[in-house]
Amino acid sequence: MTTRDLVLIALFTAIIVVLGLIPPVTLGFIPVPITAQSMGVMLAGCIIGAKRGALAYVLLVLLVAIGLPVLSGGRGGLAIIQGPTGGFVLGWIVATFVTGLIAERLVKEGQSEVRQFAGFFIASVIGGIGVLYAIGMPWVTAVTGTPLSAVATGSLAFIPGDIVKAVIATLAARAVLAGYPLLHARA
Amino acid sequence: MLNGLNIEGTTPLHRMSVRMKLAILLVCGLALYAVSSFFVLVPAFVIAAVIYFTTGLAFREAVSRLKPILFTILILLIATAYLTSIREAAESFFRLMAIVLFAGAVTATTATGAFIDEITRLLQPLDRLGLVRAADVGLAFGLVLRFVPDIFNHYQSIREAHRARGLKVRPLTILAPLIILTLKDADTIAMAIDARGFRRPRERLR
Repeated sequence: MTTRDLVLIALFTAIIVVLGLIPPVTLGFIPVPITAQSMGVMLAGCIIGAKRGALAYVLLVLLVAIGLPVLSGGRGGLAIIQGPTGGFVLGWIVATFVTGLIAERLVKEGQSEVRQFAGFFIASVIGGIGVLYAIGMPWVTAVTGTPLSAVATGSLAFIPGDIVKAVIATLAARAVLAGYPLLHARA
Repeated sequence: MLNGLNIEGTTPLHRMSVRMKLAILLVCGLALYAVSSFFVLVPAFVIAAVIYFTTGLAFREAVSRLKPILFTILILLIATAYLTSIREAAESFFRLMAIVLFAGAVTATTATGAFIDEITRLLQPLDRLGLVRAADVGLAFGLVLRFVPDIFNHYQSIREAHRARGLKVRPLTILAPLIILTLKDADTIAMAIDARGFRRPRERLR
C-alpha cells in the first residue's frame, strides 16, 4: 500500500465522520430522516473502490470501538458494537467491499454517462442495501431473539430512504469520477 | 471537535490494562449468551449497572449516552415479547443491558491513546508476518483526527457558497464538491509524509 492510498483511506474516513455532523434531512414521503453519514458505504465503495473503501470503514469501526463519538448524533463506544445494531456497524466493512467490487467491474472511464449511472446504482443497491441488511438483520435476531421475519418487516420502513440514498450516492460518485477519478487507480 | 468518550479517574477499571478490560468484555459477552437463567442475568445486569454508574461519569451524561441504544433495545424487545414470549424478551433485556453497560464502562474508563497503543501492539504479530504495518494504524488515526476539522470547514464554506448564490443546501450538491476538494489534497499530504520519512521502507525495518 502506497502512502497515497493510506492518505486516501484516512481522508475518506474523515469525510464519513464529517457527514455525521451534517443535520439529517426529512423527505415528505419517507418515515425515517436521511442522515448523510449512512450514504458513506455506497460513496466509499463507488469512489475509492473495494479495498480502500473497506479499509476506510475498518478505520471508522476502530474509531467507534476506541470511544470516539464519530457516528451521527455523537454516538460511539464499544456499546454500539456490542448492541443489537452492531451487525450493521461491522457489516459496513463487507458492504463497502462488495459495493466497490461491483463498481470497479461495471463502471469504466469513457463509458456513456447512462452506463456509469447504472453501474454505480446497481453497486450501491446490492452492496449498500442487500449485503448490509443480509448481515445486520440476522445479527439483530441473534442478539435480541426477535424473529427474523419481524426484523425484516421493520426494516422495510428504511428501504425507501435507502433507495433515495443510492440515487444520491450514484450521482455524487459519477460527479467525482468525472472530476477526480480514483476508482481504478489501484490500491 | 472529537473528544474521546472517556473520563479521567482512578477507579479499578481505570487502572486495569486495556487488554484485560477487552478480554473480560469479550468473555462476559459470550458467556452471557450461553445462560438463560434469571439468577445469573439479573445479578450481571445489576453489577454492570453499578460499574457503569461508578466510573465517575456525571449521572446526566451517563443516562444520555444510554438513551439511543436503550430505545433500539426496547423497540426490538417489545416486538419479541409480542411475537415469542415475555420471558424470552426479559432474558434478552437483562443480557443485552448488562453487556451494553459494561461496554459503556470500558469506553468511559479507557483513554483514546491507550486504545491506539493496544491496537498497535495487538497488530505486531501480523506486522512481523508482513501483512500490515502496525505503525500505519497510528498514522491513519492521526490523519483522521487532524483532518476532520479541516473537512468540516470545507463543508461550511460550500454551504456558505450555496447560500450566497441562493441555492438550497442539499446533500446532493454538497457531496461531490466536498469529496473532490478533500481528496485532491491526498497527493500533497502523501508527499509531505514521505518527505519526513514517517513510513520507512520495509527492508530497513528488518
